Amino acid sequence: MAREYDHLFKLLIIGDSGVGKSSLLLRFADNTFSGSYITTIGVDFKIRTIEIEGEKVKLQIWDTAGQERFRTITSTYYRGTHGVIVVYDVTSGDSFANVKRWLHEIEQNCDVVNRILVGNKNDAPDRKVVLTEDAQRFADQMGIQLFETSAKDNINVEEMFMAITRQVLRTKKERKERQAIQNNDTVNLRKGPKQNKRKCC
Amino acid sequence: MQGWVRTSRVLALAEHDSNHALFVFMSSRMPPLLFSDLAIERVLPIDADFRCEIDTDSKHQDGVDVYVNISSHKLKLLFEMVPGIKTSNFVGEIFRAIEVFTKRRGPPPEFQWLHKYAVGAGSLSNSGSGSSWSGMDNPSRGLMEPGIDGVTGQDESLTDALLESPEISVPRQSIAKGATPIAARESVIKYQMAMKEQHYTYTQVLRVFVGTWNVNGQPPTVGLSEWLAQDPEPPDIYAIGFQELDLSKEAFLFNDTPREEEWQEAVLNGLHKKARYHKVALVRLVGMMLLVFVQEQHAAYVRAVATETVGTGIMGKMGNKGGVGVRFDLHSTSLCFVNSHLAAHVEEYERRNQDYHDICSRMSFTRFLPPKGIKDHDQVYWLGDLNYRITELDPWLVKDYIDKGNYLPLLEYDQLHQQHGLKNVFAGYQEGNVTFRPTYKYDPGSDNWDSSEKNRAPAWCDRVLWKGDGITQITYRSHPELRISDHKPVSSLFDSQIRVIDAVKYRRIHEEVMKKLDKLENEFLPQVMVDNTEVIFDTIHYLESQIRDLIIANTGQVPVTFEFIKKLDDSSYCKDWLNIEPYSGFIMPGEKCDIKLEVFVDKKSAFKLNSGEDKLYDILVLHLEGGKDIFITVTGTYERSCFGSSIEALVFISVPVREIPVGRLMELENAKEVSSTQDPYPIPKEIWFLVDHLYRHGLKQPHLFEQPGLNSELLQIRNWLDNGSPDPMPGSIHSVAEALLLLLESTAEPVIPYNLHSICLSAASNYLQCKQIVMQLPEHRKNVFLYLCAFLQEVLCHVNENGLDSKTVATLFGTIFLRDPPRSRGDLSSRARMNQQVLDRKKANFVYHFLVNDQSDFILGR
Repeated sequence: MAREYDHLFKLLIIGDSGVGKSSLLLRFADNTFSGSYITTIGVDFKIRTIEIEGEKVKLQIWDTAGQERFRTITSTYYRGTHGVIVVYDVTSGDSFANVKRWLHEIEQNCDVVNRILVGNKNDAPDRKVVLTEDAQRFADQMGIQLFETSAKDNINVEEMFMAITRQVLRTKKERKERQAIQNNDTVNLRKGPKQNKRKCC
Repeated sequence: MQGWVRTSRVLALAEHDSNHALFVFMSSRMPPLLFSDLAIERVLPIDADFRCEIDTDSKHQDGVDVYVNISSHKLKLLFEMVPGIKTSNFVGEIFRAIEVFTKRRGPPPEFQWLHKYAVGAGSLSNSGSGSSWSGMDNPSRGLMEPGIDGVTGQDESLTDALLESPEISVPRQSIAKGATPIAARESVIKYQMAMKEQHYTYTQVLRVFVGTWNVNGQPPTVGLSEWLAQDPEPPDIYAIGFQELDLSKEAFLFNDTPREEEWQEAVLNGLHKKARYHKVALVRLVGMMLLVFVQEQHAAYVRAVATETVGTGIMGKMGNKGGVGVRFDLHSTSLCFVNSHLAAHVEEYERRNQDYHDICSRMSFTRFLPPKGIKDHDQVYWLGDLNYRITELDPWLVKDYIDKGNYLPLLEYDQLHQQHGLKNVFAGYQEGNVTFRPTYKYDPGSDNWDSSEKNRAPAWCDRVLWKGDGITQITYRSHPELRISDHKPVSSLFDSQIRVIDAVKYRRIHEEVMKKLDKLENEFLPQVMVDNTEVIFDTIHYLESQIRDLIIANTGQVPVTFEFIKKLDDSSYCKDWLNIEPYSGFIMPGEKCDIKLEVFVDKKSAFKLNSGEDKLYDILVLHLEGGKDIFITVTGTYERSCFGSSIEALVFISVPVREIPVGRLMELENAKEVSSTQDPYPIPKEIWFLVDHLYRHGLKQPHLFEQPGLNSELLQIRNWLDNGSPDPMPGSIHSVAEALLLLLESTAEPVIPYNLHSICLSAASNYLQCKQIVMQLPEHRKNVFLYLCAFLQEVLCHVNENGLDSKTVATLFGTIFLRDPPRSRGDLSSRARMNQQVLDRKKANFVYHFLVNDQSDFILGR
């Protein structure tokens, strides 16, 4: 049987309760949106397969409960994650202020992981309180990419997931290359005259 | 697989008079046990339109499944088979049946014997009537292949709908029951894409030039452009065949000739000048050579080029006669060109038919698995010196007709025309109207008919035929200007419809299919509804259980296996005061499971709740296998009790425990040095109440401490102690005795603290040492210890009445005074159990000293 996918990545969506983590996932995986708010009590996942640069990437995207009381439990789900999507609500200053805590949470629980910052509910300019410039400045400081999305109006959602997936893919390839170079240094001597990779680099 | 899911089918190969058919059955159970289990879904005659391919894309990865594509007329089926001997035998038999068909003679069979198995005929009654059912008698071992997962449409009427739109609804019900797994993703994609081919391909019409010339061993001394480049526009594809390229013995024996290079050069020079060409292939067998070119712009879309030769000459093998072939895929269309030189001589038309059949059955492009034959192509062009003659007419008469340009009567006598009409040869092929002079036989260098003694009748030896959809012949002609041979070259132009993949549309449709699959996969994740994710208990009392129900309803499409799982560092999936029943289970879609959550605070958990180290609060993780986790919060308020309170705290409490604020109790429990305005009691008043009651009423009670109390009375005693009451202590002696033991067991640490545990055990045989240790106990503990020992000595004074003995009492109180540290608890290995006996004996020894020796000096000495 041919291979179902070339890569399988686990993505995690975190952020304060009510910022729209589940909505983002629902929009991306099922292309639906539900206006009624159902708080996530637990962790749930959906899958979606996408093609990036001709490679099949299967994403398993985990949506976590944002409520404070579940924080210690949800942190156990960080293990084995390739990319983390930190979501705030552009209409809620508090949720943006808490991004720092969420980033800290990632540091505590993951080794090396790709991160992306997402300001959701970016569909009602009059209610927007987290300015793009402020968010961008913060994102630059932290060295992470910023996306402002709307799960409701399907703005930037696809692009955001694609961006984090591309990052994860790049990280994986860079690691492979590094390993290949290391292997070249050690193993290749024994293997004999294989092509000298350093020349072409 | 139907649409998106896998369904099971049974295949059977049936034979009747050397004709075969593939029967596809639905079965009411797998594997089928009775004939009545089976219903014919469709019957596919193994005829010219039947194709069977093993999926060659699958690189035998892990050998998970074998994919077999079967197509018959417009119907495409994909079967997923379990790899193994049975499957390969069965597929082998299908190939053999196909081979039998291709090698057969005479007109194609009409498969009338299949009519009675009309589709939808229902269950198979009796298959007698002379057809032999391969392996039908024993489904488990014969040629029947039970357990095959077939990809098929529903029935004939649905098949068209399927081809139009593959949006077949999923039989959710059967998936829900777990009977129908979602088909392997890759095979669904392949199937869906095949079904939607027309949506992402479009037709491009390409001009195909097919030419044939028997050059009678002559070298190319003339230019070929009059033959190859006569038209204003350049063709997209050239297929140019030669016969009798070299008549020398060397060519025949060693298949080596300089003529190959010479003629190829001549062809290259003769191709249309308005386009640049790319050589697809050259294949030659002795004198038969076939060259295929495509315009350079098409070269990138030419794939899977293969060539093959078949000799049918001397001994039926040599290459003086036979055929050579080139096949390739252009975009999505497979093309095959065959150049043949069939047996000579006027009367040998049957031999020519035979050669044709031999070429058909023996030309096999073996780079494919299974090998592709000529018929396995969308478009086939057959050219060559087929050598069929005009018979039964006087040569002079023939020439007369020709001179008048009256070919029609002559064609009546053309052997190919006759044999083709009888379907003895080239069945399924078409030939255009022959409107040119016979191309054989001329005096070389002239347009004169053969003037030799033989005076052969003219004949249309050189022909072009075709087979397949989307082919339109534009011209069919000969080129008499080329005179070096005794044959004239023939050419035909075709407009051929090639299916081209639109990359953008392909990607879009592929993405749609993937999305649909993802959606399906998401829908088939386990889903449940829990009626309550915040379970709140009323006030919980020591030793009093409370139960709450939780309902897990399977609201998804698939069966769910659930389990409450441990959180990261926890040793259990819930706190020790909680019990979940059942903590794991299985729920069918649409069904529910009741879960009982029971909170019960006993001696193991009370002290943690009393001190505030633990709270009646837990988050449970309900895990669905292969799916999500749901968090269920359990909360309650614990009513503190003297049970679970430490000796140190209790001695400072002069009122019933419930009368002091919770904060004060926690303070007492947690403070190292207790500051208090009031002097503590020497021992907790609760211990005094219980012992005093036993002293007054129970010294002579048989089986004191040995017989358990009643739970209801224990609760009454608990309330009496915690609330305070002017009434006498409730409950029987046995209940009071158990309450005493429980009170001692419920503390965070035993009377002799854990840090002295091992010292006591090693000193157990030495009374003096034991005494020393007791002397050093914290004051209230020492008091409790000595007080209880004194009481027990009193009890043992009444052995005549109560029937106790000092050893038993020592053992009982040994385990209570010297309770094992929590670490060793729960370790139930046999070695640990052995050790436990030794330890218990030591504990008993320790206590025993204080039951049999006079302690008055001790007590007085304080």
